[in-house]
Amino acid sequence: MKIKNFLVMPAVNSGAFRVWSRNFLYFRKTLLVSLFWIVLEPVIYLGAIGFGLGAFVSNMGGMSYIEFFFPALLASTAMMVAFFEATYGNYTKLTHQKTYSTIMLTRVGPEEIVAGELLWAASKGFFGVMGVTVVALFFGLVDSYRIFLALPILFLLSGVFSCLGMIFTSIARNYDSFIYSTSGLIVPMSLLSGTYFPLEHLPDGLRYAAYVFPLTHGVAAVRGVLQFGLTREVLIHTAVLVIVTWVCMNISFYRIRAKLLK
Amino acid sequence: MINNVAIEIKDLTKKYDDKVVVDRLNLEIFKGECFGLLGPNGAGKSTTMKMMYCSALLTSGELYVLGLNVKKNYREIKSRIGVVPQEDGLDPDFTVLENLLVYSSYHNIPKSEADLRAQALLRLMKLEEYQDRSVETLSGGMKRRLAIARGLINSPEVVFMDEPTTGLDPQARLWIWDFFRHLKSENNTLVLTTHYMEEAEQMCDRVAIIDQGKILTVGKPQDLIKELIGKEVVEFSTNPVDLNYYLGRLRAEGFAYQVIKDTVSVLVKENQEGRRVIDLIASDKIFIRKPTLNDVFLKLAGHQLRDE
Repeated sequence: MKIKNFLVMPAVNSGAFRVWSRNFLYFRKTLLVSLFWIVLEPVIYLGAIGFGLGAFVSNMGGMSYIEFFFPALLASTAMMVAFFEATYGNYTKLTHQKTYSTIMLTRVGPEEIVAGELLWAASKGFFGVMGVTVVALFFGLVDSYRIFLALPILFLLSGVFSCLGMIFTSIARNYDSFIYSTSGLIVPMSLLSGTYFPLEHLPDGLRYAAYVFPLTHGVAAVRGVLQFGLTREVLIHTAVLVIVTWVCMNISFYRIRAKLLK
Repeated sequence: MINNVAIEIKDLTKKYDDKVVVDRLNLEIFKGECFGLLGPNGAGKSTTMKMMYCSALLTSGELYVLGLNVKKNYREIKSRIGVVPQEDGLDPDFTVLENLLVYSSYHNIPKSEADLRAQALLRLMKLEEYQDRSVETLSGGMKRRLAIARGLINSPEVVFMDEPTTGLDPQARLWIWDFFRHLKSENNTLVLTTHYMEEAEQMCDRVAIIDQGKILTVGKPQDLIKELIGKEVVEFSTNPVDLNYYLGRLRAEGFAYQVIKDTVSVLVKENQEGRRVIDLIASDKIFIRKPTLNDVFLKLAGHQLRDE
């Protein structure tokens, strides 16, 4: 009974959409500052690492460094934006602002709050991805219809980190708690997931360990799909992301619901 | 008869871990009345109310709001009630007007209707000129008024308010109580918690005094005062040496009293005379006053400090 309850697909209904809209309204109000960090920062990485550092690297297994790095940048943007929204943003709403307690006074229930918030952080990650994609268009980095295959994968990847962030939010005791998840998980992941250099260059043990990171699968899937289209490897990596999202989503539902309704 | 009942509570118990916060509570609140839950801090009144407005789970017992079971029909209940929580819970990311509009969207109120209601409530709450201000810039009284407006946006049948006047200045308190009179005159059911006895006495049709999760008494404030205290109170201060002597004299004459440190409150019943007490006691710090709900409260809940 308990396991069965645990493994249900949450219904995304009107209540969840209202919660999503609340966040979107705030996003629109603060568009400029949001764009600044969710788009400008990746673009600086693109310039500094992709074009700057990349100029010293002549060949990355048949592609230029910027071609190698760009999919990873899209994937890291999805991760960073979704994760920070789901941790700092949601923690503020859960505790200091009491936003969730207030929503609980209305007909919207805890499940819908969690569903709406997970969807929102994933959407915000995706907005970041879209922003970077638009900028990359001007640099001539997006030259294939395959970007349309990559975008859904990037949305899924945002979803992974939205759910993961929500789990950390449910565990956190204060804002400092997020230093563990950021320095212990997000930063290593952004460096070691085949982002800046191929996984093959990692020491043997670490190379396989890197496959524990969801970002590794995200980067591999996006890089693969941009280069070759929907290959078997891409589908396997995507399937891994679907499973991780689903598990993390259920954990975050269980944990946040328990926090909201005691 | 059942139609007349707004809230029905049977053997309601709430435990947090092993701590019993609400202990087999039984209570009925009627439609159209203003009902006060009174009690010291940590008595369980806020928790009881939270269970009524479906923001806390029941450990055991039954609770019906507007004839609906809180365990099953919480969504319908929540769309028919209004809640003003103790910590206003306003959204600092938005302006005054946006707070009302976003909240109406949770209630599924269509945008055009929400606009009309929000404007009307802002006028009623004297907040219309602040509608575009960030809620962070409002005073405590204005925040509370906005929280009340928010609680009324779905035209609720029952309004819950958790310590609505705590932390407000006297003017803001007066304004809010005056507004409650207005709500009452429109036949709304009001349920509130407070520890301001004089307010409860004036405003509430009935009150329940709660301590340690149990109801000590329920009734109309005037009835409780008459029954538990009497028609007047004679209060005097004395030194510890004379205290026992005076108390002996009072007992001999059949007077009931409460002692808080050096101050004695003599409870004068219908058939007794307050003047007689003054003859018995040779204290120059003695006076007769009308009994209040505060006397009832102190008699039932004691006067020790509460640490929570």
